[in-house]
Amino acid sequence: MEKTFRGGIHPKDRKELSRQVPLQHYEAKGEIVLPLGQGIGKPAKPLVKKDDLVLTGQIIAEADGFISSNVASSCSGKVKGIEKRRTLSGSSVDCIVIENDGLYTPVEGMGVQEDISAIPNEEVVARVKRAGIVGLGGAGFPTHVKLAPRDPSAIRYIIANGAECEPYITCNDQLMRTQADGILEGLEIILRLFPNAEGVVAIEDNKTEAVAAMKEAAARKQNPKIRILPLRTKYPQGGERSLIQVIAGVDFPVSKLPADVGCIVNNVGTIYAIWRAVAFNEPLFTHVLTITGDAVNNPGNFIVHNGTKVSELVEACGGIREGVTLKKVLAGGPMMGIAMSSLEVPVVKTTNAITLLSEDAVEKAEAQLTNCLHCGRCTTVCPQGLLPQLMADAVHVGDLERYEKKLYGLECIACGSCTYVCPAKRPLTQVFKQTKAEILAQKRAKQAGGGK
Amino acid sequence: MSNVLNISSSPHVRDRWSTRYIMGIVFLSLMPATIVGVAVHGLQAFLIILISIVSAVGTEFLFDTLCHKGKSYLDGSAAVTGLLLALSLSPDTPLYAPFIGSVFAILVVKCCFGGLGKNFINPALAGRCFLLISFSNSMTVFKVDAVSAATPVAELLAGKAVNVTSMFLGTSNAVIGSSIAALLLGGLLLWAFDIIHGEICFSVLGGFTLFVALFGGQGFDPVFLIANICGGGVVMGAFFMATDYVTSPVSKLGQMIYGLIIGVLGGLFRVFGSSADSFSYSILMGNLLTPLIDMYILPKPFAYRKKAIARQSGAPRKTIKQMIPRPVLVIAIITLLAGLALGGVYSMTEETIKEQQRKKAWESYRAVVPQAESFRAVQAPDIYGTIYGSSYGRVTINEAVIGMDASGKTVGYAISVTSSEGYDGNITISVGIDPDGVVNSIEFTELHETPGKGMLAADPAFKDQFNGRSVTSFKLITGGGAPAANGIDAISGSTVSSKAIVNAINAALDFFQSVKGVQ
Repeated sequence: MEKTFRGGIHPKDRKELSRQVPLQHYEAKGEIVLPLGQGIGKPAKPLVKKDDLVLTGQIIAEADGFISSNVASSCSGKVKGIEKRRTLSGSSVDCIVIENDGLYTPVEGMGVQEDISAIPNEEVVARVKRAGIVGLGGAGFPTHVKLAPRDPSAIRYIIANGAECEPYITCNDQLMRTQADGILEGLEIILRLFPNAEGVVAIEDNKTEAVAAMKEAAARKQNPKIRILPLRTKYPQGGERSLIQVIAGVDFPVSKLPADVGCIVNNVGTIYAIWRAVAFNEPLFTHVLTITGDAVNNPGNFIVHNGTKVSELVEACGGIREGVTLKKVLAGGPMMGIAMSSLEVPVVKTTNAITLLSEDAVEKAEAQLTNCLHCGRCTTVCPQGLLPQLMADAVHVGDLERYEKKLYGLECIACGSCTYVCPAKRPLTQVFKQTKAEILAQKRAKQAGGGK
Repeated sequence: MSNVLNISSSPHVRDRWSTRYIMGIVFLSLMPATIVGVAVHGLQAFLIILISIVSAVGTEFLFDTLCHKGKSYLDGSAAVTGLLLALSLSPDTPLYAPFIGSVFAILVVKCCFGGLGKNFINPALAGRCFLLISFSNSMTVFKVDAVSAATPVAELLAGKAVNVTSMFLGTSNAVIGSSIAALLLGGLLLWAFDIIHGEICFSVLGGFTLFVALFGGQGFDPVFLIANICGGGVVMGAFFMATDYVTSPVSKLGQMIYGLIIGVLGGLFRVFGSSADSFSYSILMGNLLTPLIDMYILPKPFAYRKKAIARQSGAPRKTIKQMIPRPVLVIAIITLLAGLALGGVYSMTEETIKEQQRKKAWESYRAVVPQAESFRAVQAPDIYGTIYGSSYGRVTINEAVIGMDASGKTVGYAISVTSSEGYDGNITISVGIDPDGVVNSIEFTELHETPGKGMLAADPAFKDQFNGRSVTSFKLITGGGAPAANGIDAISGSTVSSKAIVNAINAALDFFQSVKGVQ
């Protein structure tokens, strides 16, 4: 039996809907909408204005501050304007809207393979930064920041996250099957920056083809510093902390970063993007994405252009199935994905799936809501070793002090495992996310007050 | 795309487990015990179960409806409470009892404290104990072939051997859900369905067994231990009641401590107490300690545990101290301390208690042989303290004394006898007999029967029946049977107590024949 972390759950993965569908490059036909903030950090500063002509791969907005990332145009055409548009999460943010000419004329110098061994290390990080690469696993943390820790020699593990534990999503599975060599190239590039690090490609053992493909690629590479590590299939195996727990054997609080315990975790998609950025001078404007769910006609895996409308992608999959009512659409999978209110929004760098469902389990669960039984199932599955039932009690009585100090409520990573197993159908994760935001807001208010 | 999409916070999928599913499994797991109970005890048992469940669900329904509380009666928890309550009642309980017990359990213990998940003690157990206290007489009637008889635990308490096989099958003289085999099967089902885990069950059983083995007086005699575990609701308590999610601690360590407390208390009550129903009380006490345990025994998140902190700073070596799991150490220490404290108190007080009993006995000798000026003991130490004869049940002769007047002439005998078959433990009687075999009078030096029933034995109406009669043995007459020359009218409703007393006095008379004339 493969190694795994403590806790966790086994939700129905429904990956069979799309796992055998090969990656297909989809070129958007309609307009492209590129939010200035795609991932964690400050939104980028636009470098173009209305009516400017842009080319595919052209940097059209640049990072504003340390934690911020560039945005590249994903098509060629004319800038329609910089305006507020609704995004996946439902909020309206500043976006660069481009009239797509459908030609995809590339920017000069992009796509020509260079000899990466000639590129110095500083240039590697600079190219990653220029390409606007963020963590494609979902959080969207700027990758160039991740690659520049305080002490590079203290990094022991570079973890390529191919676990893909989230139900329904299969795009990274397909990416690993077809681009195994590219991913390993990317991993080697990162390893160059960290002399004491070992590269570990972590894959859940339900992706047998991906494991085989990666192993073959590794055999071709014959790099002793790289190994392929199948892990037991269990959610949230692909969580950064779960991976570090298994690979480095370390548990660490949220106040610390993976780099503090000698690890850097990158999604396999991100690592592939790093290779493209460094070796081909190609910014991040395409990424892999799964369109799936029981409500769509032909679920599939795509290489999509950043800023493509979700509705266009759904049409590319044959649209919504006849006789089915679309109940819920998720950006991401069902465990951590965001419920969308409309399909007329663009996919961004961190969107790894669009899940279209004809049934809403949450709606059904609400009908079965009862008081907490204190059954302790939430405690058993929590990958952080928290006590969700007592945390919910503390929130209920308004004891945020106990929530934070005694129950370590801020350690919650919002993986949703507790809510998934709760027989009383309590919305635990939601409560914890809200409470965390509340406590952090209070702290910020206090700091701001103290600063005066 | 005209329809409105649902929006909610993640996660967007749910496990199939629901409150009703859990309650369904618990209900199912109680089915073996229920079926055996009904098969053995018949219609009455079935009616008790039915009334209990219907009134439990009905009470919650009425409460929900009247207080506009939704439909919590449908979640199955009330039905489980009703069934558990019924299974912990005697099959000869009057039919109003399950009704009253269920109403109390649901209305007072559950609904008034906020409904499902908010009760501070197990409702079914609370209902049972409420009935035990309120209707102590009719609640504890166990009949075998329409004759009152003692439960296996009462017999065990009295030092008798019990039939473990019948306890396993559930054909013994106990509550409806007393079949150990069926309960174990149910417990196994709960475990197989992942409803309960080992922590509570095994710490309850472990604590109990250890205590009974250490202080039960028969050491690690397996037959004795198994008999003790099989009786008095220990198995039902360990698998179905102590494991109640709501009233047990959250953490595994907390659960082990909680289970151990219940086990040790249960053992304490079993060994040193006299009630056959004591295990219910020990679980209730464990329930009450749960909030306290949850306040102090909180496991830290993985990242804050000592080992994890050591790893974060890059020191992965384990010391031997770290290799012994902390819970094991803590539990070992708690058990040791509790055992030592209890054992110590017992041995310290044992002598004093014996001394006082002796003093009391000698005082009673003066009362039953008033003519005597002084007494001297009859030397027959090999008989003292052992079971006397075979026809008197478990009766021991404590001692016999000869009363003498001022001139040293024998004016009477006083014999102290103890029957261990009282309804609630031992009954010790001093019997005064004059040299011709006529009973002078009797005095109780140890009597703690049911107030208003067995305790009436100390009333002259019963006690004085023996005075001035000269027979070789008395005969107990129950329920207004025909009078006889040697007849003694039983205390109404306390056949067990009356029988024990008459047996003890008959044993004394029999023993008198052998000491008579001994000077």
